[in-house]
Amino acid sequence: MSNETWKITFLVSRQKAQESRQFQSFEMDVDPDEYVLDGIERIWAFRDRSLTYRHACHHSTCGACGMVINGVEKLTCITPIRSVTSNGGTIKVEPLRNFPVTSDLVVDMRQFYTHLEEARFGQVAPVEEACLPFEKQQIADPSSTYERLVDCIECGLCISACPSALTSSSYLGPAILAAAQQGYMQSKDLQLTHWVDSHDGVWGCHSAFECSEVCPSNVEPGWRIMDMRKIIIARRVRSFFGRT
Amino acid sequence: MTNPPSPSHFWRWFDPRNRQVGTWAYILNRITALGLTLYLALHLVALSQLAQGAAVYDNFVALAHNPVFKVGEMLVIAAGLIHGLNGIRIALNSFGIGARLQKSSFLMLMLFALAGIGYFGFIMFFGE
Amino acid sequence: MIENTSRPKNNEGVGLWLTKIILGLLVIVVLGIHFIINHAVAPGGLLTYADVIRYYKVPIVPVMEIFFLVVVVSHSLLGFRAILLDLNPVAGIRRAIDGILLVAGTAAIVYGAWLVILLASR
Repeated sequence: MSNETWKITFLVSRQKAQESRQFQSFEMDVDPDEYVLDGIERIWAFRDRSLTYRHACHHSTCGACGMVINGVEKLTCITPIRSVTSNGGTIKVEPLRNFPVTSDLVVDMRQFYTHLEEARFGQVAPVEEACLPFEKQQIADPSSTYERLVDCIECGLCISACPSALTSSSYLGPAILAAAQQGYMQSKDLQLTHWVDSHDGVWGCHSAFECSEVCPSNVEPGWRIMDMRKIIIARRVRSFFGRT
Repeated sequence: MTNPPSPSHFWRWFDPRNRQVGTWAYILNRITALGLTLYLALHLVALSQLAQGAAVYDNFVALAHNPVFKVGEMLVIAAGLIHGLNGIRIALNSFGIGARLQKSSFLMLMLFALAGIGYFGFIMFFGE
Repeated sequence: MIENTSRPKNNEGVGLWLTKIILGLLVIVVLGIHFIINHAVAPGGLLTYADVIRYYKVPIVPVMEIFFLVVVVSHSLLGFRAILLDLNPVAGIRRAIDGILLVAGTAAIVYGAWLVILLASR
């Protein structure tokens, strides 16, 4: 941590029940190397106990603390204050977009989690399957088999950033489509390709690639959606020529 | 603005604030698509002048030398170049080609589009 | 284990999307030909009625122009439809959109083809 102290104004979205959204400002003295989540926690602890927000691991493995910070989706536990503002500046904190707001900074992710289950991807996979095909696999002993957790931490930042998810609640969204691609790579289950072969699936993506930009966990959802498209096109061409 | 997805949020498709290069490609592709569709309809209506004979058509073409028309035509050419080149990028990405290079490929293609716009603009406004 | 919830096979699957993309690539090719011929090769750049009539006397020209018309109208309306589908319309409105675009597209193609044939016959 640094020895500096900055004066920052947190502009926090407040919304309870059916009320319309308001912004409440909190002036804080912060260490700029603290994280945005630290600031939010101190607001809750010392300024306003009615503020609701979601957090858990505090080290970017649970995906719980995703929020929109100054208009950009971030995991607040790993977003240093100095990376989003300067001394005397403002940090605008909003809940993730494209999800119903439960309270303040907490959004309802039930549909999201349900769809992730439908994607049927194993959250622990052999390293070869967990890694993107173009990334270097770090394996200590090539003669052994290693498994690891797949990259997606189910934070929902990609769905918040997606322009297609902005207007359509039935669009599955980048995380789900990426999960379906991962599930297909693990199981080769053709049912998954049928599931996403629609405008609510891979064909609803319009290649903005904002999902890949905001993903904190190397999932590359944009690439995975394009890969799933390639898989579906190849399957269609093969079936056209009578080959399954 | 409400938080859950809603068709009423469509105006935010065109909001580039806090977004990256891919969103610019998305916005440009969408705007040029709508503009070119509108132009297609206008073009068909304009060509209906041909059915009405020489005098009507030749008068209409004389009108098209108006600078306002020329600016409009330049916009059509720009839209066609941007939409066409970005469409090639999207098609290639969807066949598994170059998805990791989507940012740099978009910027490169838009440079080509700018070059084309400059060339046709020069011909239209300064050519014979 | 949760099975995939059955999703209605709506709107735009790989077939329609591939059609849209292939038409788009064809538009690029044919538009290039259309543009070069109309504005660079054709004498006078087709800026008079007489030049247009003379141009349409070449047998391949009406064929090319009608093909271009079909391709560009189809690509344009499929793309416009995709934008409207992003608004997640309910089934009834979706069917109405499909109907309107089908009628509009057919009308544009029929009218344009009629115009081409008319000019070729003058």
